[in-house]
Amino acid sequence: MKKMQFGVMLRGVFPQGDDMRTRFAELMEQARAMERLGYDSLTKGSHFSTYPMQEMVQIPFLSRVMAECPSLRLNAGIVLLALHKPLEVAENFATMDLMSGGKMIFGCALGYRDVEFKGFGVERKGAGRRFEENLDAIKKLWAGGPVTMKGSHFELEEARISVPLVQKPHPPVWLGANADKAIERAARLGDCWYLNPHQRLDTFQRQMEIYKRALDACGKPFPKELPMRREVFCAPTHEEAVRIAGPFLKSMYEAYEEWGQDKVMPAGDNDISQRYEELARDRFIVGSPDEVAEEMLRYHRLLGVNHIIMSVQGTGLPQSQVLETFELMAKEVFPKVQQGM
Amino acid sequence: MADVQFGLMMRAQFPAEDDMQLRFRELTAQAHLADKLGYASITNGMHYSSAPFQDFQQLPFLSRIMAEAPNLRLNFGIILLSLHKPLDIAESLATVDILSGGKVIFGAALGYRDVEFLAFGTSTKEKVKRFEENLIAIKRLWTEDVVNMKGSHFELKDASAATKPIQKPHPPIWIGANADVAIKRAARMGDCWYVNPHNRIDTIIRQTDVYRRALDEAGKPFPKEFPARREVFVARSREEAMRLCKPFLAKKYKAYHEWGQDKAMPEGDNDLGLDFDDLVRDRFLVGSPDEVAGQILDLNRQTGINHLIMSMQWPGMPQQMVLDTITMVAEEVFPRVRKG
Repeated sequence: MKKMQFGVMLRGVFPQGDDMRTRFAELMEQARAMERLGYDSLTKGSHFSTYPMQEMVQIPFLSRVMAECPSLRLNAGIVLLALHKPLEVAENFATMDLMSGGKMIFGCALGYRDVEFKGFGVERKGAGRRFEENLDAIKKLWAGGPVTMKGSHFELEEARISVPLVQKPHPPVWLGANADKAIERAARLGDCWYLNPHQRLDTFQRQMEIYKRALDACGKPFPKELPMRREVFCAPTHEEAVRIAGPFLKSMYEAYEEWGQDKVMPAGDNDISQRYEELARDRFIVGSPDEVAEEMLRYHRLLGVNHIIMSVQGTGLPQSQVLETFELMAKEVFPKVQQGM
Repeated sequence: MADVQFGLMMRAQFPAEDDMQLRFRELTAQAHLADKLGYASITNGMHYSSAPFQDFQQLPFLSRIMAEAPNLRLNFGIILLSLHKPLDIAESLATVDILSGGKVIFGAALGYRDVEFLAFGTSTKEKVKRFEENLIAIKRLWTEDVVNMKGSHFELKDASAATKPIQKPHPPIWIGANADVAIKRAARMGDCWYVNPHNRIDTIIRQTDVYRRALDEAGKPFPKEFPARREVFVARSREEAMRLCKPFLAKKYKAYHEWGQDKAMPEGDNDLGLDFDDLVRDRFLVGSPDEVAGQILDLNRQTGINHLIMSMQWPGMPQQMVLDTITMVAEEVFPRVRKG
């Protein structure tokens, strides 16, 4: 029987005033809860210079958290691969794969923030080529080496990783991609396409055809694991879920173009919930356990998704509510989904 | 009485054939023990492409090991600073400082291996320039809200360390240096000079004078914390200590010699290819607990070194021998040194 995997993308950014030690303790507690409740994976994003927000860096965070949740797969979702040097990335992930007993997932994508490209001394132009070159070098290094290779921004001279990978041939490579061209790259270079949380289901249906054609073109089968990130929130009733999730999803949908900068709605306006439902449909998975399970199964049936990475906290949801939600989903959503697979 | 702190260097280097998952579990046991026995810090080094040895990477390793030794300071000893981008180092170390509750020590030095410079798209010619500009940028990222700075290999444009370290104004900066000119740089730019493990003690004494003069020139006081790394091994007698550690320590220094580490060392003390007995003499702290305590006290009196980072394991050394040494040093050397 096919199985759905469930992961959580831990909250990455926090406001300026927050005490990061407290936030860190909360994230560790969340990781332990996920371990106890039988979740499958934990995801941590990567950004640099997120001011005025605060953020914890991906590699030290994942390395530390693995002590709290030894059963969970750890998804670096995603590494901003064009920014880095391949030997460093290959080495760090080999160490993490070793220390975790073979739990790493190597998510990667192109970034989009100027401050990050500049901070790493990388030109935006040609970042796609640099991404591909880095990934190529990393895979060669992961194969064992020694590797000799002249890249556009590095040179490998009989270089090898210093510790073997546990996972063979290497941790799964998940490529994030929004644009059609990037999806073709994901088919060519990744173990799978890592579907983003922003796009609607119908967009993905169209893009899935592109992905499948691109897989055929390079003679690769449909991946055994197809992961997707989604904003997910579950409460005992639909109304409660929307009431709780609404405020934090609001800050996110205010960023979307279709909302527009001038359309600031007053609190309590019926239009908010209508517009919210419009925005949420086929994009957010927010509702009662039955609804959430049904929606997840819909993604599976229509796209083939079998690993759902859930962002559940948005900004500002208190710790107790986060933990309650983890519990509710594990007890009432996951079994329904597995049954329906 | 000597107020000396003791750190455990977990070099974490192992021979090519070793089972690294087993070795990792052994290192966690060492970390537990050091935490329990009152060591002050754990140190891990940085190298890439470490063949013929196997090696854990510094950032993930220290981040993971803190879970095993929550009381110990975490010394990034050292970061090959010229290889990296300052935004990356500033934010990564700030994160570790948060996760550890303010325990990071930022060790930094130049490095010497071509394979590493090449892999990071740089060269030995650029290393001093990059080292200095990176260090300036990192300090600014840690202490200023928004930074604008154009470096030779990066640009900070309205950039900021996404989270600031817990330690204020920032984690202590220990600069590793072999040559006199680098020691002067350490005086200028660091919180202290971090004395390397390879040089002879008479060299350290001479160079401490160089350091003091450079501090005077920079208008800075002698640092409250003056750390040094040393190879250390104890047993019931000096003969036993030499006999037990020789196979492993000799092999490690042969590798340093082959990697060219001694080319970076000062004139008159730049040959690590010596015969083992000659190599150990006046350099490594190998002997009975009394002898080693005596050497540490001498070093403290002659130079002011008061945080001793001890490497007590070299590739191939069995775990039990390491655990025994960690224990014997804590139980028999610490109290003798503290008593003076």
